[in-house]
Amino acid sequence: MDMHDDTPREDAADAAPEATPAVTPEPAAVPEAPAAEQAPAAAEPPAQPAPAPARPAPRKLSPIEERPEVAIALPRRKLAAQTRRDFLLYGAGVAAAALGAWWLLPSRTKSHLPLQAGHDALDTLAARVGLTSERRGKLLDGSLTFDDDVAEALYSKDRTIRTYARSEVTPLRNNYDGQTPDPAYLPTWQLQISGLASGRIERLGVNDLARFATHEQVTRFVCVEGWSAVAWWGGIRFADFLAAFPPAPGAKWAAMRSAVNRDAHGHPDPYYVSIDLETARHPQTLLATQLGGQPLPIEHGAPMRLLVPMKLGLKNIKAITEIAYTAKEPADYWNERGYSKYDGL
Amino acid sequence: MSRAPQSTDTVRVVPKHHGLVRITHWVNIPLLFGLLVTGLSIYWAAPVFMHPWNPVTHTHDGLGDVSVFIARLLHDTHDDPRNWIYNHFSLGTSSLASALSIHWLFAYLFMINGALYALGLAAGGGWRALLPRGTDPAEAVAMLRYYLNAVPSLVLRKPNPHPKIAFKYNALQRAAYFSMPIFGALVVASGWAMHKPAMLGWLERLFVNYDGARIVHFVSMLVLGTFVVPHVILVIADGFDTFRSMITGWSARVKEDGDGHA
Repeated sequence: MDMHDDTPREDAADAAPEATPAVTPEPAAVPEAPAAEQAPAAAEPPAQPAPAPARPAPRKLSPIEERPEVAIALPRRKLAAQTRRDFLLYGAGVAAAALGAWWLLPSRTKSHLPLQAGHDALDTLAARVGLTSERRGKLLDGSLTFDDDVAEALYSKDRTIRTYARSEVTPLRNNYDGQTPDPAYLPTWQLQISGLASGRIERLGVNDLARFATHEQVTRFVCVEGWSAVAWWGGIRFADFLAAFPPAPGAKWAAMRSAVNRDAHGHPDPYYVSIDLETARHPQTLLATQLGGQPLPIEHGAPMRLLVPMKLGLKNIKAITEIAYTAKEPADYWNERGYSKYDGL
Repeated sequence: MSRAPQSTDTVRVVPKHHGLVRITHWVNIPLLFGLLVTGLSIYWAAPVFMHPWNPVTHTHDGLGDVSVFIARLLHDTHDDPRNWIYNHFSLGTSSLASALSIHWLFAYLFMINGALYALGLAAGGGWRALLPRGTDPAEAVAMLRYYLNAVPSLVLRKPNPHPKIAFKYNALQRAAYFSMPIFGALVVASGWAMHKPAMLGWLERLFVNYDGARIVHFVSMLVLGTFVVPHVILVIADGFDTFRSMITGWSARVKEDGDGHA
């Protein structure tokens, strides 16, 4: 159908609305009687004037009732101009969305797309309108930072993380990104603690951990990849550890490092994460030494790993060899590889 | 309306779709597309629909099985057949970091867009046309019969009159338009449940557990994505006026002849 099909009628809509309600725009929000009358009237052929067919009795529309559609008369020129404007804007929007989508695509994805010859032209076009790869990086970093801020705003130190019954435990996979470390490090394992109020550097062996009370909890372990597992952990409360080895005044962060971490080829690839001390003091934050009632196996970070159930799995560093309390925010292994910084769950 | 010039220079049109509804409708498309391609890349990292090792498809991943099936059907030996879906409908495999950051960006935009859509529905009163009505069951059957007859009636050259519909949209349309915002809300809620299960534990429990939220998220994505197919077909079948009305906000179909199905 086309707008030309509609015979232009008396343009009484503006001049005398009360005389010809058929062309009067009716505000949909007013459930008065005239609204019900208009729909049949609008359908009348233009030639026939007064003798209306049997109209339904005017009645009140309920608040959820559909409002009848009411035609309005618009100047043809104005309508055409508006329509042209809207279609031009729409076309511009489609072009902008297409170029924006291209700009956001990772280069890895682009390399798999056909018509490689046109890729440079598209990149140049995008850069010319300001969509440079630097801006892309900034935008995506900003998106991660914003999401981190949301996570921090949601975080409450007083909130208890959901716990499960031991019967609900599910298998926990060894997700070491590289090779699982050689167990040879275990007999000589030491934990070095620095940034202490005492100004000293402490070194603990496995036997030194025995003086701390052991706490157990069954919590869900959630990986950034999307899998999760319910596991039964046991270990030292980080809060107790902080009380025994108080950090220097002004310290806000606990930077943890595992010197025994390996890459996929078995070469040393030290792993490092950090959590803020408030999160470290949460009663469910453990320096875990047990899994499933047994000492931690190598693949889960023997002899001691971090367990922060309010953070993604990648913050739960295995086989910690070093803890340093710092005032300045420390680096994070996966944040440097394009992932979020705080990883709050 | 301002004052009109001459009577012959006016056109009678029916105003349709609040401006916010029209803009957010179109913005939804790139956003959902971006969420889908990044979401599938994230899904690849750890599929939720897993099964024991399948010796035929060589995978634990249900989508991997479907991928192998499609790749064999198309004789596509170009790449690992287990990754066919990921290679064609996502950013690709091993792209988790970039997929996550783009997914968050689009997810926040999708929520803002959804809120503006709801605002437009409320401001324009358009929500009333989406509510289920008492006449829906009978009309849905009539419409189904009409759609199923569409092709046979063309072949057999038999008439296939459009059923009389009681409201602006027919029952099938209304069911679809009514459920889209619900699935939109569901995809957002399940997304938050798996994004912040520790702080929003109550939301995670609403989906039973973490994987429950993942399954709802995945299924909602499928529903939202599948809706597009009949939606586009029916808009094309219905004609240019319907398409134009979602851009310009007016329809030239002034008579209430009960057609219009998209």
